[in-house]
Amino acid sequence: MSIVKEFTKGLWKEIPPFRLVLGLCPTLAVTKTASDGMGMGAAVIFVLVLSNVIISLVRKIIPKKVRIACFIVIAASLVVSVELLMQAYAYPLYQSLGIFVPLIVVNCIILGRAEAFAAKNPVLMSAADGLGMGIGFTLSLTFLGALREIFGYGKLFGSAVFGPAFKPFTFMVEAPGAFVCLGLILAAMNYLAIWQSKRAGLPEPAIAASCGGCRACAIGESKQIVEG
Amino acid sequence: MRELINMIVVLSLISGASGLSLAYLKDMTAKPIEDQVLFYVQGPALKAVFPDAENDPLADRKKFDTADGAVTVFPVKKGGKLTAVALEAFGPGYGGDIGVIVGIDVAKNTLAGIGVTTLKETPGLGMRVTEAKYQKQFKGLALDKVGLSGKGGTVDAVSGATISSTGTVTAANKAIEIYKSLKPKLEGAF
Amino acid sequence: MDYFLMLISAIFVNNILLAQYLGNCPFLGCSKEKGVAFGMGAAVIFVAVMATAFTWIMQKWVLEPYGLGYLQTLVFILVIAALVQFVEMFLKKMVPPLYKALGIFLPLITTNCAVLGIAILVQRKEFGLGMSLYYSFVASLGFTLALMLMAGIRERLVIARLPKSLQGTSIGLVMAGLMSLTFFAFKGMIE
Repeated sequence: MSIVKEFTKGLWKEIPPFRLVLGLCPTLAVTKTASDGMGMGAAVIFVLVLSNVIISLVRKIIPKKVRIACFIVIAASLVVSVELLMQAYAYPLYQSLGIFVPLIVVNCIILGRAEAFAAKNPVLMSAADGLGMGIGFTLSLTFLGALREIFGYGKLFGSAVFGPAFKPFTFMVEAPGAFVCLGLILAAMNYLAIWQSKRAGLPEPAIAASCGGCRACAIGESKQIVEG
Repeated sequence: MRELINMIVVLSLISGASGLSLAYLKDMTAKPIEDQVLFYVQGPALKAVFPDAENDPLADRKKFDTADGAVTVFPVKKGGKLTAVALEAFGPGYGGDIGVIVGIDVAKNTLAGIGVTTLKETPGLGMRVTEAKYQKQFKGLALDKVGLSGKGGTVDAVSGATISSTGTVTAANKAIEIYKSLKPKLEGAF
Repeated sequence: MDYFLMLISAIFVNNILLAQYLGNCPFLGCSKEKGVAFGMGAAVIFVAVMATAFTWIMQKWVLEPYGLGYLQTLVFILVIAALVQFVEMFLKKMVPPLYKALGIFLPLITTNCAVLGIAILVQRKEFGLGMSLYYSFVASLGFTLALMLMAGIRERLVIARLPKSLQGTSIGLVMAGLMSLTFFAFKGMIE
C-alpha cells in the first residue's frame, strides 16, 4: 500500500458519502449552496487530517479499552478549535453552517477513519488517508451543493447562471430536495460501479452499504467497518 | 491494576493536553472573534442608523465602566467632531433577548435612530420590528419621551407583535439610561 | 411558547429528521424492520431526555459561570458518551427486561447526531430546564415517528422490484424525500 493509493482511494473508489455512506447529516443539511458545502468540507478536512495524524502518533500508548474515549476527546478538541477559528476568521460561514459545526464531532467519518485506519497505520499514511477522504467529502458536498444551488436559486457560488426568465425550482433547496437528490446520486454511483465492473469482466460489486461505519465505530468492532 | 493506572494516566494526559491547547487557542482568537462579531452583527445596524458617518464607529469604539458592567460605546464623527454615539442594549422579547443598537445625537439630545442586532423571534410577526417603517418612528424623539403610544409615548407598536415592540422600547430606554450616566465621561473621551 | 404548539411543531413541522436533518445514520441503518425501529426510537427518547437534562445542568452551572462556553461541544459529547455507558451498565444490572429491549441500541446512540444536536439546540434557543426537557422529548418522539413510518414503507419495499442500482440506501433516501415532502404540508399549521 503506497501513500498515493491511500490518498486517491478517498477521491473516487471510496468517496464519502457517495460510495462510503458516512456522514449523511451534514451532507444533507449544509448543501443549500455550493459555497456552504465547500466550507463544511474544509472544516472536515482540517479535523480529519489532524485527528488521523494525532491518533496515529499516540496509537501505541493508548490502552485498547479506552481508545474510543481518547478518540472522542481528540476529535472534540479539534472541533472546538475549528469553531474558534471559524468564528475568528470566517464568521458568516460559521453563522450559515450553524449547529452543524459542533456536530462534526459525531460525523461518522471522523471516528470511522480513526478506528479503521489511523489506529493501525503510521503517521504519513494516516495523513494521506485523512486528506484523501476529506477532499473526497468536500468534492461530494460541493457537487451536491452546486446542483441544488443551480436549480434551487438559479445561481452558482452566488452568481446567476440562467437568464432572468429562470423560475427557481424551490423544491431543491428545501429538505425533500436534499433527500431525493442524494438518493439519486447514490443510485447513479451504484450504476457506474456496476457498469465498470461488468466491462472489466469482474463480478458485480456490492451496492453502497448504509452507514455501517457509524455503528461499528460506536461499538468498537473495527472489522465491521466497510473497507473498500 | 497496572492496566487501570495506565488507562487513567493516558486519558488524563490527553485531556490535559487538549484543555491546555484549547485555552491557548481561545486566548489567541478572542480578539479576532470580537472584531468579527462586531463587524457582522453590530456593523450593519450601525450603518443603517448612521449612513453618513465620516469615521469608522467600530474601529473607534471604547469601553466604559458602569454600575452593571462594561459597556461599549461607538462614536460617530462628522468633520472631526463627535456628533453622536451609539450603544447596544437588550430588552426581553418573545423568544429571547432582543439586541438593539441605539444612536443618540449628542448636540440635540435626541434619538438618532435604532437598529436591531440580535433577534430570536418567530418568523413573520415579531421579525417586523426590524422593518424601517417601525424603526423610523424612533428618529428624533426626545430622550425622556420614548414609549409605546398606549403608554404615554409616540411609538406605534407593530400590530400582533406587542412583546417584540415593548422589548425594543425597553432596550432603547436602557441605552438612554446608560448614556445619561456616562455623558460627562463621553465628551472628553473621543 | 405554547406547549401544544411546540408539540405539533417538533413532531410535524420541524421534524428533527425530515426537516432538520439530524440522525440520518440510524434512520437509514435501523429502518428495515418495525421492531428494530421502535427499539431504536425508544432508546433515542430515553437517552435524549437524560442527556438534555445533564448537559443543561453542565452548561448553566459549570460552563457559563466559569466562562468556559467555548468548550461546549467537547463537554457535551463526553457527558453523552459517559451517560450512555452508565445507562447501559445500570440497565444490565437493575432492569434486565429493559436492557434486553434497548441494550443493543444504546452504544449506537453516542454517535447519533440527534442526541447531541438536541442538547446543543436547546442551548442555542435559550430554553429553561423544563422547556428543554419537554422539547427533547417531543423532538425525539418526532424522530421515532419518522423512523417507524420509514420502517413500515421499507418492509413493503423489500418485495418491490427495483433496478439494482436503486436498492438499499438510495431508494431509502428518495423515500425519505417524499416523506419530508408530505410533512411539509403541516407547515401551514404553525405560521
